Amino acid sequence: MTPLSRRTFATAALAAVLVGCGGPQAHQSAAAGSGSTPPPSSTSANAAHALRRSTPVRLRIPAIGVDTPVIRLGLAPDGSVQVPPITAHDRAGWYGHSPTPGQVGPSVILGHVTVGSYGDGVFRHLAQLHQGDRITARLENGTKAAFTVSAVRTVAKADFPADDVYGDVDRPELRLITCAGPRTGDGYRDNVIVFATLSSTSP
Amino acid sequence: MRRTVLSSLALACTAVLAGTVPAFADASPTAEPVPATSSPAHTATPSAAPTAEASAPSAVPPRPTPSVSSVPSAEPSRPPAGGQVSVVPKGAPDTGVTAASSGSGNQGALIGGGAAAVLAAGGATVFVVRRRRATGA
Repeated sequence: MTPLSRRTFATAALAAVLVGCGGPQAHQSAAAGSGSTPPPSSTSANAAHALRRSTPVRLRIPAIGVDTPVIRLGLAPDGSVQVPPITAHDRAGWYGHSPTPGQVGPSVILGHVTVGSYGDGVFRHLAQLHQGDRITARLENGTKAAFTVSAVRTVAKADFPADDVYGDVDRPELRLITCAGPRTGDGYRDNVIVFATLSSTSP
Repeated sequence: MRRTVLSSLALACTAVLAGTVPAFADASPTAEPVPATSSPAHTATPSAAPTAEASAPSAVPPRPTPSVSSVPSAEPSRPPAGGQVSVVPKGAPDTGVTAASSGSGNQGALIGGGAAAVLAAGGATVFVVRRRRATGA
């Protein structure tokens, strides 16, 4: 083999290896930046009075960079709660048999932590919320309900606290639920539940 | 000269082969879309919240909105329990679908395939170059 062809062959092999290695990293796009958005200015003039029933259409959680449309969810045939569809840009879903955000009672909103091969779900960073963080739900009738996080709990799915999540309360509250913990099969072992209380409303 | 052209051709073919393999990465049919029976939001549940509206002095009568049944028919027709959450779901929500486990297997196969393709292309190049040398071209 002449020096020229040897050099050419070495170049070919090196180029092929380089091209082959470059491919799989294309999908590692950075997750949505979080924390940089300041919390929405609180409308202190408006007292936190209960709102009329109106379907939530949008959910904002500035602390973890969430700003998502909200769909309506019902029950699955097996009696468990429906979850939002597995799509590339998944959305949060409001459980339609619970009060709407701002009504007296626990309004329940679900979102995925991961959506299979599509990567991170809309509630990927839900567990990073802290007491005092703000959550805003916009309703179909134009009103907004602002909530303040009161607790973040991680519980095993086997011990899901249905009473704490779905049980009656004497004020407007919000529950945000996603999955967490070690992976088991194609799912997760735990749930993260964010408890929040209504802090203000705006027309 | 012809040898150089041939080698360049082999380089191009090898690069294309190696580049094509990662392109198949997204074609894995692992994603199973969940049937989305939810309809776009409609506030059509007429009086599902008796507690909140009972306190209002009923200056505004309940809106006679047309009842669009957006709840899937497969839903068990249990009577409302009377609580603020009219139907309490069973079990815990399944709000996370992982694909990393199966995905990593696919990725391993792809890497292996890519390496095999590179080796095959390299071998072919060596063979062609030697053959051309032997024939004195």
